[in-house]
Amino acid sequence: MPAIVATLGKKRRKVRFLSLSQTIQGRKLDSGRTRTHMPTMSSLAVRSAAEHEPLEDEKGSSHPAVSALFTRPPALKDALITETSELQDETLNKCLPFLEGSHSNQKDTLNRYGVPPLKRDEHIGYLYDSLEYYPPGFVGLDASRPWMAYWALAGLTLLGEDITKYRSRTISTFIPMQNATGGFGGGHGQISHCASSYAAVLSLAMVGGDEALSLIDRRAMWRWLGRLKQPDGGITVCEGGEEDVRGAYCAMVIISLLDLPLDLPPDAKARECGLKTFTSGLSVYLSRCQTFEGGISGSPGTEAHGAYAFCALACLCILGQPEVTVPNCMDVPLLLSWLSARQYAPEGGFAGRTNKLVDGCYSHWVGNCWPLIQSALGGTRAASPKLSAVGNLYSREGVTRYILGCCQSENGGLRDKPGKHPDSYHTCYTLTGLSSVQHYHYHTDASATSNEECSSAFSWKYIRVRKSDNHGSDINVFDENDRLAAFHPLYVIPHEAAESIRLWCESRPLDA
Amino acid sequence: MGRYASDPEWASIQPIPLNDGSETGTVPLATIAYSDEYLEATSYLRAVMAANELSERALQLTEHVISMNPAHYTVWIYRAKIIFALNKDRNGELEWLNGVSLKYLKNYQIWHHRQVIMSSRDHFPTLPPKEMDFLMEMFAQDSKNYHVWTYRHWLVRHFELWDSPREIADINSLLNSDVRNNSAWSHRYMLRFGPRNDQPDGGMVNADGPPTEKGRLAVVDEDLVDEELQFAQVKIASAPENRSPWSYARGVLRAAGRPLSEWTEFARKFVVDKRDDQGQLEDVEVKSSHAIEWLADVYAQDSTSDQSSARDEAVRMLNLLKDKYDPIRRNYWDYRIQQITSGELPAAA
Repeated sequence: MPAIVATLGKKRRKVRFLSLSQTIQGRKLDSGRTRTHMPTMSSLAVRSAAEHEPLEDEKGSSHPAVSALFTRPPALKDALITETSELQDETLNKCLPFLEGSHSNQKDTLNRYGVPPLKRDEHIGYLYDSLEYYPPGFVGLDASRPWMAYWALAGLTLLGEDITKYRSRTISTFIPMQNATGGFGGGHGQISHCASSYAAVLSLAMVGGDEALSLIDRRAMWRWLGRLKQPDGGITVCEGGEEDVRGAYCAMVIISLLDLPLDLPPDAKARECGLKTFTSGLSVYLSRCQTFEGGISGSPGTEAHGAYAFCALACLCILGQPEVTVPNCMDVPLLLSWLSARQYAPEGGFAGRTNKLVDGCYSHWVGNCWPLIQSALGGTRAASPKLSAVGNLYSREGVTRYILGCCQSENGGLRDKPGKHPDSYHTCYTLTGLSSVQHYHYHTDASATSNEECSSAFSWKYIRVRKSDNHGSDINVFDENDRLAAFHPLYVIPHEAAESIRLWCESRPLDA
Repeated sequence: MGRYASDPEWASIQPIPLNDGSETGTVPLATIAYSDEYLEATSYLRAVMAANELSERALQLTEHVISMNPAHYTVWIYRAKIIFALNKDRNGELEWLNGVSLKYLKNYQIWHHRQVIMSSRDHFPTLPPKEMDFLMEMFAQDSKNYHVWTYRHWLVRHFELWDSPREIADINSLLNSDVRNNSAWSHRYMLRFGPRNDQPDGGMVNADGPPTEKGRLAVVDEDLVDEELQFAQVKIASAPENRSPWSYARGVLRAAGRPLSEWTEFARKFVVDKRDDQGQLEDVEVKSSHAIEWLADVYAQDSTSDQSSARDEAVRMLNLLKDKYDPIRRNYWDYRIQQITSGELPAAA
């Protein structure tokens, strides 16, 4: 495909995802091949024994700037072995060499904090490749092409690439995915889905321009979303599909970015149950998703989960000011305690659920809950940044070490954890997480929109976290060269992209 | 010629070829080199769906597409529609689904489809006898599969199985094989203390009330509460650093409206102060960071009644967590300490 080479201005690489086809077929990624690189069970027993004193032979192997917090197993470990503890030990042992800075791949390249630099060029190359041609084994991605576009465009934007060169390709990708009855499906002839519509709207917002934005049939989108609203206040992901907080979050993102009326369309079934707007009963629905653990589940009554916690909190922050909407629905101290327990040491990264493993993608899902809940605690501030009411309540250092140390694949792309293959999903969300720890996000009283509805969602500002802000465990352990662009904490695209699609739509109101 | 093009049964259908955007002349993003078989089947799928054909041949077609790409959510929705329209045998569908589910463990769509099939009261007035056996087979492969647990939660509510002996027996068996299975603990909480059919579904009862009142039962079965607290204590004893039973116990006490201080003595077994002959603190022997957190919360609650010794104890516990037993959460522990020392509301539990 020489045409593509020309538009990218760089040499086309060979698509290197072949090994990933294992996951597409639904099988576990951990093949015998990756296992051969893992420590044996006997070395594991030595490392994880409940001893607090460092072993002699380990002292020398860590980079001197890496504190024991990130190189030693936790102070307490139960003797009882179960499947959960075995997987945890395995993960810990795979991460430790990367955290210590002693892995053979990273030796001479560490910065003064013992952290490897961001492989920016490799990740950029990886994401450019991910937008090209996939062999037949990737048929499992057929319904996820909107996501593939979004993840790559978002990741490239974070890495500082100008993605407007993809404008016409993005437009030609999404045109056949839009249905005349409203919304975008995963591909041509696929029914409209909240997730594909979310990915489509965000991708088009990022590339921007009249042609991209005007291809969205906003009126049809509004009517279609109206058919997803349920009597209990929640929103399904598609007609006939499941109802969960993804549906609620994606729908509110679309509605607020496209300035769609909050009133339900006249033919919406939910009107028969007395609901009048998209927001009717929505915060009550979300409040029913908080569990006894404090976290938030995908739908009422199931297990607390980091990705759903983000969807629910971001949705609440679109509905109004965080210090109002979040405490109205959630027991905040309980939520805070659960959220805080998602971060593990020595890995430094986040796990999505209690007793599950760290995974790079939660750097976004859990990581970006933090600015939201910190704003809920600290309150709305004047537009000019002052000292924060509530600082960072998690370890930015830990997340940074996990992402840069453990999640970077040698040839580009980022991954769940060492031993896993990279993919565009993990590349996008680990980078989003890295961006999140590099910026301080706060909520202000100055909105980009003068329209009262959803104005709070457009009132987020950020400043770069600088070296001079450092104190205690909150030090910047990344190099200035490794700064990423800032993303809007609710819309997960640049602030300017979110604000300009909103203003573009406001200037073209839908007729009543 | 492909399988459908050469089949007289499909002669009446004009397939709709794939438009992936290439026809605009601009190369679209993330294109896939589909096999000819997939391209043909999906072109017929688009055609029958556009005509809203709900037929036997369309049903066969959905199975064919699913066999090539089970993540194709559209084909699942369409399949459910056909099964309802043709009033197909639901047990046969479940049997077929069992095989597909075991083959594609991480698939989302399968479980929603199963729920849609199972939700027909006419066909399934009560729970089919083998259903829970199959779910246990799934859990043997992946005991924390979020989709399977979500489906099981739905089954409990749909068939009102909160007090079914099978439910608690399965949970006990899963916790016996892995006491750290937090999905099983969550399900147990829902069985014992979650909202029943007189309330909307939720993670806690009374979820529509003020957030601090969430989870509080209107009528408390104290025997059940004691039993569950006892259960949690036994499980904690086997692995004190397991967060799940500690959270569970907090949830149980919350439901009963009973204070955390009920467990002060129990928690103290895992945080033992070592004193010298003069009674001076020499060291603290700790077996569970969750016990420290528990004690911190107990003392923090006491400290609101202006007892400075309780406040000091709360801060001492939080410092243990911050400095040694859970230091990755240092900023959170500092925040808690600052709240207590400044006399602000302590974190509830």
